[in-house]
Amino acid sequence: MKEEKEFNIETIEQKTAFIESVLFVSKEPVEPEKIMTFLKCKNIKDFEEILSKLTDMYKDSERGIVLKRSGGGLQLVTKIEMHDLLNDFFKIKKTSTLTIPSLETLSIVSYKQPVTLAEISRLRGVNSVGPVKNLLQKKLIKISGRKRVPGLPALYSTTKEFLLYFGLNDISELPSIEELTEMFEEKEQPSLFKQIQSENG
Amino acid sequence: MYSEKYEIQTEFFEGPLDLLLYLVNKKRMNILDIKVSEITSEYLDYLMNKRGINPSRESDFLMTASTLIYIKSRSLLPAPEIYNEESLEDKLINTLAEYDKIQKITKLLKQMENDEVLLWKREEVSENFETREFDIKEISSFQLAEVFLNLIKKRDKEEFVNIKSRDFSIQKKQEEILEILETKGYLNFSGYIEMLDSTEEFLVAFFSLLDMVKRGIIIALQKRLFDTISVWKNGKYKIAQ
Repeated sequence: MKEEKEFNIETIEQKTAFIESVLFVSKEPVEPEKIMTFLKCKNIKDFEEILSKLTDMYKDSERGIVLKRSGGGLQLVTKIEMHDLLNDFFKIKKTSTLTIPSLETLSIVSYKQPVTLAEISRLRGVNSVGPVKNLLQKKLIKISGRKRVPGLPALYSTTKEFLLYFGLNDISELPSIEELTEMFEEKEQPSLFKQIQSENG
Repeated sequence: MYSEKYEIQTEFFEGPLDLLLYLVNKKRMNILDIKVSEITSEYLDYLMNKRGINPSRESDFLMTASTLIYIKSRSLLPAPEIYNEESLEDKLINTLAEYDKIQKITKLLKQMENDEVLLWKREEVSENFETREFDIKEISSFQLAEVFLNLIKKRDKEEFVNIKSRDFSIQKKQEEILEILETKGYLNFSGYIEMLDSTEEFLVAFFSLLDMVKRGIIIALQKRLFDTISVWKNGKYKIAQ
């Protein structure tokens, strides 16, 4: 099927250039293992060295992209500073899309997965069929199984798309509940309220 | 009702927990140590200030109110000596503490979503341009089933009754489908299913497709969400492209 051609990628420079070109053409994050196998690179340390070289290169203020780890893969994305200019240039309004109910539902699924619809609704205090359906359609959550209780309700878990959407490399990157409490502790107490207000008004 | 709309925006709550959490925060109370009487009077104030009634929302709040009253009356009565079960008060407090956590996570996700929006990826621009190329994605059996249900709903509206005594087997159907794929290259899923005479045949065809997808003989593809689904022989798709 495939012709086995001998390729010569020996030097670090060549490898760096090759990885950059792979990431440049890829629409989705590329698994590092895939590149490593192709380059017959067995040592993760060597590979990480190349990656940090790339990362350093992009630190230059003349560069408009950065190397990002997302959903377990590698990806080139634009720098944050470019956002407004890109919006103007492409005439695209790139904004966040999830509503508060959807985000609430996602937060329950991400921390309690696998979890049933009944549990989600109980925790939110309101029926959550709508947000769950919406998230299923957006592929941010999936049915990962059935709970072994009467009725065999579906269990929901987050997907790889969820990681990509929120720029996470792995689900374990989400802070623990304790860390979260510290994060929001002193800063703003009754502000959940203000936040909702400003979004409506 | 309509003049009230503006007031709702300044005091917008989704569900009783949301309101309760707000009241607790306003009084700067620890969630684990709620003074029910204070919360109750806060809640009553809130109700007094409200003009007009939205039944579905108000019923949620009545639920909260009755829970608060129940807790209150309980605390006035002498408590039974042995009380094994989790008390209602504990239950509410636990739920509220959980809800508070969820709010924090939600805030975090919102932040992350906003941060992520600032980063542009390759696909975004092409997807938004007029002359974009469609990103063809393999779809899940979950979506396939959704299309199936929609089609069956459509069929229900048809009034013709045909009584036929033909048996359909999944094996035969699969051969038939493969034959079509062999000659035509691909199969338009919705089109094909609409063509069939009876619901029975329809069902058999659907299960045949599902089975073949599962066994990897064929793949189901969709150009984008809500587009028609087409079925290809596995491996053939790339060649055809």
